[in-house]
Amino acid sequence: MPTAATFRDIRRLVIGMLALVALAIAIQPALATTPSVAAPDTAGEAEAAAQTPADGEGAETQDAAGEGEAAYEYLGPEWIKGQPTSFEEDPWKSMTFQDQYTDDGKYALGMNNYILIPVIVAISAFVLFLLMVVVVRYRRREGREPSRTTHNTLIEVIWTIVPVIILIVIAVPSITLLARQYETPPENAITIKATGYQWYWGYTYPDQGGFEVISNMLPAEEALSAGLPAQLAVDNRMVVPVGVPLRIQTFGADVIHSFAVPSLWFKLDAIPGRLNERMLTIEEPGIYYGQCSELCGARHAYMPIAIEAVPMDRWRQWVLSKGGSFGEEAETAEQMDIQAPASATEGAPAAGGAPTAADDGGTAPSVPLDASETEGAESTN
Amino acid sequence: MATTADTFQAHDDAHDHHDADHKPGFIARWFMSTNHKDIGTLYLIFAVIAGVIGGGISGIMRMELAAPGIQYLGWWAEFMGGGADLDTALHMWNVFITAHGLIMVFFMVMPAMIGGFGNWFVPLMIGAPDMAFPRMNNISFWLTVAGFCSLLFSLFVPGGIGPGAGTGWTVYAPLSTSGSVGPAVDFAIFSLHLAGAGSILGATNFITTIFNMRAPGMTLHKMPLFVWSVLVTAFLLLLALPVLAAAITMLITDRNFGTTFFDPAGGGDPVLYQHLFWFFGHPEVYIMILPGFGMISQIVATFSRKPVFGYLGMAYAMVAIGVVGFIVWAHHMYTVGLDVNTKMYFTAATMVIAVPTGVKIFSWIATMWGGSLEFKSPMVWALGFIFLFTVGGVTGVVLANGGVDDNLHDTYYVVAHFHYVLSMGAVFSIFAGLYYWFPKMSGRWHSELLAHIHFWVFFVGVNLVFFPMHFLGVQGMPRRYPDYVEAYSFWNEVSTIGYGIVALSVLIFFANMVYAFTAGRRAEANYWGPGATTLEWTLSSPPPFHQFETLPVIEDHHDYHNHLPGGQEKPATA
Amino acid sequence: MAGAKNHDYHILAPDIWPFMGALSALVFTSGMVMYMHRASEAFPAGTWQIVWGLGIAGLIATFWGWFSKIINEAHAGDHTPVVQLHMRYGMILFILSEVMFFVGWFWAFFDFALFPAPIQEIAEGTWQNLIGQEGAGPLAVFPPDGMHVIDPFDLPLLNTLILLCSGTTVTWAHHCLINGDREGLKLGLWGTIALGVLFTAIQAYEYMHAPFGFGGNTYSSAFYMATGFHGFHVLVGTIFLIVCLRRAYLGHFTPRQHFGFEAAAWYWHFVDVVWLFLFISVYVWGGWGAEIH
Ligand code: HEA
Ligand code: HEA
Ligand code: CUA
Ligand SMILES: [Cu+2]
Repeated sequence: MPTAATFRDIRRLVIGMLALVALAIAIQPALATTPSVAAPDTAGEAEAAAQTPADGEGAETQDAAGEGEAAYEYLGPEWIKGQPTSFEEDPWKSMTFQDQYTDDGKYALGMNNYILIPVIVAISAFVLFLLMVVVVRYRRREGREPSRTTHNTLIEVIWTIVPVIILIVIAVPSITLLARQYETPPENAITIKATGYQWYWGYTYPDQGGFEVISNMLPAEEALSAGLPAQLAVDNRMVVPVGVPLRIQTFGADVIHSFAVPSLWFKLDAIPGRLNERMLTIEEPGIYYGQCSELCGARHAYMPIAIEAVPMDRWRQWVLSKGGSFGEEAETAEQMDIQAPASATEGAPAAGGAPTAADDGGTAPSVPLDASETEGAESTN
Repeated sequence: MATTADTFQAHDDAHDHHDADHKPGFIARWFMSTNHKDIGTLYLIFAVIAGVIGGGISGIMRMELAAPGIQYLGWWAEFMGGGADLDTALHMWNVFITAHGLIMVFFMVMPAMIGGFGNWFVPLMIGAPDMAFPRMNNISFWLTVAGFCSLLFSLFVPGGIGPGAGTGWTVYAPLSTSGSVGPAVDFAIFSLHLAGAGSILGATNFITTIFNMRAPGMTLHKMPLFVWSVLVTAFLLLLALPVLAAAITMLITDRNFGTTFFDPAGGGDPVLYQHLFWFFGHPEVYIMILPGFGMISQIVATFSRKPVFGYLGMAYAMVAIGVVGFIVWAHHMYTVGLDVNTKMYFTAATMVIAVPTGVKIFSWIATMWGGSLEFKSPMVWALGFIFLFTVGGVTGVVLANGGVDDNLHDTYYVVAHFHYVLSMGAVFSIFAGLYYWFPKMSGRWHSELLAHIHFWVFFVGVNLVFFPMHFLGVQGMPRRYPDYVEAYSFWNEVSTIGYGIVALSVLIFFANMVYAFTAGRRAEANYWGPGATTLEWTLSSPPPFHQFETLPVIEDHHDYHNHLPGGQEKPATA
Repeated sequence: MAGAKNHDYHILAPDIWPFMGALSALVFTSGMVMYMHRASEAFPAGTWQIVWGLGIAGLIATFWGWFSKIINEAHAGDHTPVVQLHMRYGMILFILSEVMFFVGWFWAFFDFALFPAPIQEIAEGTWQNLIGQEGAGPLAVFPPDGMHVIDPFDLPLLNTLILLCSGTTVTWAHHCLINGDREGLKLGLWGTIALGVLFTAIQAYEYMHAPFGFGGNTYSSAFYMATGFHGFHVLVGTIFLIVCLRRAYLGHFTPRQHFGFEAAAWYWHFVDVVWLFLFISVYVWGGWGAEIH
């Protein structure tokens, strides 16, 4: 039975496979190195851009719905980095992951591009190839007797062991990725508590006086006229400092929501009765959009997430404009509380959302709390 | 109480077929059945109806998703008796996806595979005259129908914002408890209780039948693989469904009687519900594919004219999938805030399932290798299955990586994954099985040409619907959204166009059925020829109302899996 | 095909009870929904009683009619050894599924017991949990702080002994049956039923005098639902035994063929074992450290 033809098939098969893997790997760089959106890249430029009148529009949008007299100017649409790409803009990018702006995200994307995609493409192609071979070679012909082979220990062992090896190859970076994602945030990481409400987000800054910013989706016309993407733009962004570790806590006020930002490789459910926590460090200033990712009722599609990452001093400016405060005259925002537990699920929040912010109605005020109210509310647990 | 016997006597000759069987009258035959083949037929008819409804709802969904914005939901909301405001329209979306998911899973795939083909062919393949509990068999079916009715009721009563249950097929608390007042969710939950009770009874019936009613000489290791697949499936049902029953009972009491299982105000935990649900839910996905594996094995062997390659490996691979399937559930919960060790464990455990599944894929190919392949319609569906299931399976392996799933969870990537394994895997195997056995069940030939056209149109259609969903998923489009960001519109449009092609193929399928019942040729006993060796081919098409009144004997030298069934050499017992 | 059957399997005539049973189940669950939403205008007032009642009646009629048939068939000799074997398998598998049902309730219980709700303390000694619930501190331990539980070594221990005793009486009855001692059979069954009823009565008393209500927190939820479902199974088991007793008086069962009795006994043992787990984990371990009522 193992004729020359069989060996020829096997040879072709192996060559075909290698070619496929090579192809899959070859296209990866193209994928990974696509230039990012034409937004200025450095912090210096950021400031410059933010001060030009050109993005006054973006700022206006925020102001219109937000807190008047702020000295802070929001980033304009040219700063949008994390958002989906349409097919019309770039067919290739519309079929791949969004560009990543965190370390872990880049690692995960690399794992996807260099390991997972080649492996799954190769396996699928391999199966397809084998099917084509049998379909062509063994279709019914007059006078050929089908073989009666039903066992071949060697081949059976091979097709058990090889997948095991492939899976181990996948598992190693996969486990590494998990370990990285679960690194404990340093003690001075800035805590932001994202609370999911039906159907908007509230962002509390417990270390800066515990004020809560309420973030609602902008109506489509309003967003578009400000040059922002409809269904993603919000009235108040979650503003965070860039380049420093953030301790993101998520919490559900009514039902389960999920705080998800694709371009940061970040998704954490916001569950009533639990406080989830994960570290996040955004590498570049910019605007990163996400959407609620757990079915939470009627307007589940209409509670987007918008993160604005800016240099530290600008962030401090924003905090002050929201009526927030900084406990000490430190360079960076120091945390005033004892360390929050690393594993959020069992622990209690470090500082506790200010009690006054925790009104459970659908209309929590976006008026910043008087800082003094919660200043001394040090946690003792 | 005594009327049943009378009805049984009063049989209706007009309904008799050529084989002059002693068949009961219409009412007795179809509403009081104790005959596994009739009950199987009922299940299949029911599955087709549910499939049309579930598929129709997905058509409404694809229409809505053809472009960004809310197009038709407002109209549907009013049609279903809700208000005209935006929230009611949006709620309608959640009702549609919930109904679509539940109908396809519980009322299309499961009834078709286990109820339909399982009932028809498990007894025939093991040489048994009927199921072990013929009467209980019937209540399994009617409980499924009752469950379906309860789900339909739920569509017409208030469910919170508008009519119907808008919780998703996973019914997560607290959206399904404090988040959805109104009786709709209770009706939907009871729908699962009823269908679940039917399935548990069905599972005991199958296990008992397979263990106790094999024809003399048919050892477990001589059983056809389809029977093996139903055996494993039945165990999964038996062990997984009661846990779901407990979980949804907790939903009922949380909703109505003041318990706080999932309510943090009383110390409860919404994540507990997810653990309980997925402890059932993951085995459930294998429940939906294992019988398909079994059918594909029969079909591939038949049309290769070769015995199954690595029979024992095939059987125990299914057992392994079933066992491991019970310890991977939390891969559906990677983003709920599991701790890192838990996530690592579930990542590793989940990937393990790729190994036995790979054994099956490669054994099917090895079965064909060196064979004499004939591309009758069941075989083309089977080939399509093997490839498309692999595609769906490998994206499952991507999702299995907890760290990667952080970006993909609850996006269209997941939707793409599970439609590849379900709407292609499971549905392809259902159509493969249907074309394989249709002439056996009905006694009439479908059109092979139409069956082939059905295949190609469906193949193109579903790939067009679901492949672009991978792109939407990696680009971040969340699931369960009636409205999406402009940037996602291109691939959504492609997907909706694909749906049109799928719908066309379903019409071709119905045309084929109409053709078969009106003009189809009569089918002989073994119409697939020497490749078809299991016991059902020793019987006439359709088989007599009661078959194997004298049990067939599988003798030792009839090495069943080398295509020498005992039944073949004996005269058909019909 | 002359219709002569040459095997020992049981081929049944068509029967309406399966259809009636499923229909009744649907009517029953619908009645439940109507009852639970009796205040809502979705259902006209006063309908739930009718619907629910019809459902219950239908279910009772189904069980009655169906099991009567099975008994008649047994007497007609339809239950050949292989058919009896089917029933054994069926009963074992059914019990297995019941075990998994209880696994669900125990899972919930242990989740609550091992991981009570996280609580935070905020200024001036007010306790608040993650949902901002004032005074939620007690929920941080299990059973919730300040909660009084039932003394496990009082009535529950008595109930444990009662059930253990009933396990022996039912075995006694079985031995009598096998050895042809009909009077012993009846006596054993009487004893078992009496113990079962006593258990239920004590359990009812305990519920009525329990120091905590039905819902409101995880302990009482898990407690009542787990022990409640167990209690329901005791009721079903008792009814099953009563049927057996009645059949014993009617002269049913032979030393060689008495599967109805055996099934009832197995079921009873299963219920007994579930209780042991409940007693140890919910009453003894679960209430440990809490104030005894
Ligand atoms: C028939 C149904 C079915 C089947 C068979 C599978 C099979 C698999 N599924 Fe899937 N899955 C679903 C139905 C199914 N799934 C559904 C319905 C959901 C969503 C539920 C919801 O949220 O609503 C889901 C969701 C889902 C998730 C959660 C995603 C999320 O919500 O974030 C994950 C994560 O691990 C997953 C993984 C897998 C894996 C690893 C397999 C494996 O069994 C696949 C194994 C197969 C192969 C791998 C291909 C063949 C193998 C080879 C050719 C050998 C070589 C291969 C390798 C070495 C990799 N599935
Ligand atoms: C078996 C399961 C199954 C099947 C077959 C399908 C088939 C289809 N599904 Fe779906 N789907 C689910 C299970 C299934 N689905 C589940 C579980 C969800 C998640 C719900 C949730 O989020 O809660 C979902 C969600 C879902 C979504 C996401 C909704 C959202 O997240 O907002 C979409 C969107 O396009 C979709 C579309 C479709 C389409 C176009 C088809 C088309 O392929 C339909 C074409 C029609 C058929 C293929 C049926 C043909 C069959 C017959 C006519 C019966 C034949 C029977 C016999 C021969 C006996 N489905
Ligand atoms: Cu909030 Cu979905
Ligand atoms: Cu799964």
